[in-house]
Amino acid sequence: MEATLKILNDLERAGVMHRYAIGGAMGATFYVEPVLTFDLDVFVVLPQTSGGLLTLAPLYEALRARGYCEEKECVNIEGVPVQFLPAYNALLEEALAEARETLYDATPTRVLRAEHLLAIALQTGRAKDRERVRLLREQASLDQKYLAAILARHGLAL
Amino acid sequence: MKPMDALKPEIAWLLAAKEDRRHKLSQLPFPEKVRVVVRLQRMAEPVLRARGRQVRVWDIEKAP
Repeated sequence: MEATLKILNDLERAGVMHRYAIGGAMGATFYVEPVLTFDLDVFVVLPQTSGGLLTLAPLYEALRARGYCEEKECVNIEGVPVQFLPAYNALLEEALAEARETLYDATPTRVLRAEHLLAIALQTGRAKDRERVRLLREQASLDQKYLAAILARHGLAL
Repeated sequence: MKPMDALKPEIAWLLAAKEDRRHKLSQLPFPEKVRVVVRLQRMAEPVLRARGRQVRVWDIEKAP
């Protein structure tokens, strides 16, 4: 896992992506009890293409050049299937901008804040997202004022 | 309406212990939680595979 994060940091340093942060089930696991998942969701801010499109193609190309191949919707990076998700709306852009810096053993990385993970799960709204909202409310130390402001800004309600 | 029966003390104790364990798990350091996730993956993989879902257990011990 540390090797995977080192590659993500390299890609960020190389400018292939502007900023990344762990989200999804592993992001939630940072704050709550471990949750079963088989992929590492990584939210990314991508450099703007000339046509203004959000495309993962340059990122996938950079990964292929480093010897990491796509497997369905993921890329296997040092033993961990990583799913890259571009920040496609204002909530995700904000979540990435305010993601929390942390260390995984000796390697720096970023994880979305618990309040943003909750808001994203509310916005996505599938059964597993509703379960994530419940877990985060039950186990994570949430800053209620910060959460209320996020929900109000993005038209969401608990 | 008839009130619900109170939980038997043994059951209440079991539920409280379960809650306590989940709380302790939520307090583990992140790398330790990732190791727990991989253990969960190892347990779930044969079941999911039998149902036709292709999943891969993470190899998290690769040297950085």
